[in-house]
Amino acid sequence: MKKFLVLFLTVILVLSFAASCKKKAKEVPPPPPQAQEQPKVEKVEEPAIKEPVLTEEEIFMKKTLEEINQEKPLAMIHFDYDKYNIRPDAVPVLEANASWLKKFPTVKILVEGHCDERGTEEYNLALGEKRAKSTMDYLVSLGISADRIRIISYGKSQPLDPGHDETAWAKNRRAQFLIIGK
Amino acid sequence: MKKSATWILCLFILTAGGLSLFSQQEIVLTIREGVPAISLALPPFISDASSAEAREAAETIHRVLADDLRYSRVFSLVPREHLNYIRPLNPKEIFFKDWESIQTRILVVGEVSQSQNRVIFEVKIYDVKSEKMILGKRYQADPGVFRLVAHRVADELMKLYGEKPYFTTKIVFVSNRDGNDELYMMDYDGANQTRLTFNKWRDYMPAWSPDQRAIVFTSYRAGNPDLYILHPYEGKLTPVSTKGTNFSGAFSPDGKKLAFCSTRDGNSEIYVAEADGSNARRITFNSAIDTAPTWSPTGREIAFTSDRTGTPQIYIMDAEGGNVRKVSFGGNYLDAPAWSPDGERIAFVSRVDNFFDIYILNLKTNKITKLTETRARNESPSWSPDGRHIIFSSNMSGSIQVYSVDYDASNLRCLTSQGENKLANWTN
Repeated sequence: MKKFLVLFLTVILVLSFAASCKKKAKEVPPPPPQAQEQPKVEKVEEPAIKEPVLTEEEIFMKKTLEEINQEKPLAMIHFDYDKYNIRPDAVPVLEANASWLKKFPTVKILVEGHCDERGTEEYNLALGEKRAKSTMDYLVSLGISADRIRIISYGKSQPLDPGHDETAWAKNRRAQFLIIGK
Repeated sequence: MKKSATWILCLFILTAGGLSLFSQQEIVLTIREGVPAISLALPPFISDASSAEAREAAETIHRVLADDLRYSRVFSLVPREHLNYIRPLNPKEIFFKDWESIQTRILVVGEVSQSQNRVIFEVKIYDVKSEKMILGKRYQADPGVFRLVAHRVADELMKLYGEKPYFTTKIVFVSNRDGNDELYMMDYDGANQTRLTFNKWRDYMPAWSPDQRAIVFTSYRAGNPDLYILHPYEGKLTPVSTKGTNFSGAFSPDGKKLAFCSTRDGNSEIYVAEADGSNARRITFNSAIDTAPTWSPTGREIAFTSDRTGTPQIYIMDAEGGNVRKVSFGGNYLDAPAWSPDGERIAFVSRVDNFFDIYILNLKTNKITKLTETRARNESPSWSPDGRHIIFSSNMSGSIQVYSVDYDASNLRCLTSQGENKLANWTN
């Protein structure tokens, strides 16, 4: 038992000596201030940014007009030769365009009327306007406010397809949409 | 006496024989014209041999004047070879009988000299039969205006014979040579092509005022096809109609009114305003397309295009909008009427099998003649001030260019080559 006590005391002594030695060593180099700050910096945790859930409208509003137009949310429609009435195949396209416009009620659009090269300069400018106008009227009949729509005629001056055959002409007789405000 | 009579007889036989070959062509020309052209001799101009500049002036003015007179259809030039049959020209002593013998009615004598730094061009115009000078003019010129001097002399000749002078007038047109459609103007023969508008938007469908001081045209520069009046020499631009699509401007022949087309009331209609665009009154009331107004030379009537019967056709109405009647027939796509300065004819475009050609409707005989036949798109006719020529745009060579053709379909020539050129306007 006595033997144990001696051993215990010895251990204590050794430990305290070791501790005093450590203390002395610590005193010699003063800790550089950076060393003290560094752990602090490490401790700063980047706050986890919590992505707020944006509505479709908010996403839309963040985009520029160019970006929106590049996505072509409003499909163009086509017309018969020398005609400006809305073709049956254009009806579902305009209905889809109208529901998109209802989803984004602040959007303003420009409807461009275009013609193929088989019309004269003068008559085509008027015909392009008629095509834009009948397109606008149809959108209005689907509940889109007329003051959200502007129309313009480019006649035959901006063909989509530069070809000179029926395929090109059919593509070029069109009304297309440009978003000009939101 | 006897000797001289024989000599004259010999000369006559020689001349008649020598001429018969050449005169044949002229006779054909005379028949095609309807009225005999005035035979005019234009011997080479005499120049101060010591001055290179005087020689150049003599050559240039002579060449341009000869081109003008050939183009005119009023004058026919005595062939150069015929001058070999007579004594050389001496401006100090003109042998009028010589000139009469080669069937010259008018003799134009030009002399160029140099005085200090200026070139002096002196022209004398003689009536051969009466042996009298009917006009004498002296011009100071530097190389930049040699062409203009020639055009001035040609205009003087036209005035002498009661014809409308137009060689110094300009043609306004649309060209994309600098990237997008802009207005340009050029001399009647295609020389001196000058840009008039400078922007990145389309400028379109120009038309001169009768004094050629103002141009009415459509421009997209403000984001909408608006109607503007440009005073090119003052650099002044005024918007005149900006609601809806505004196009097909046309000044009345007295320059006091402006007809144009606009969709300001929701549909393509024709309006007549004061020359500055103020006080516009609508004169067509129809749910169809009404467009392309062109004034009669009296200013009392307007021809225009309308598709009120289903396809575009040519109509005439009073300048106030009343008394509308259809004048075209036999086609199902007619547009771009242009009323001739003599009031008797309307040029227009007709589409047949996807080709556009220029036709002329004679309002007196009610007959239609075809002016172009090129299996291409020939468009936008405009008359010369004297009604003997029509300019139009065509893609007959592949790209769209401005052409000139005489009223009887002869003398087709291309006036432009840089980029694409169209919608040329010479008169109303």
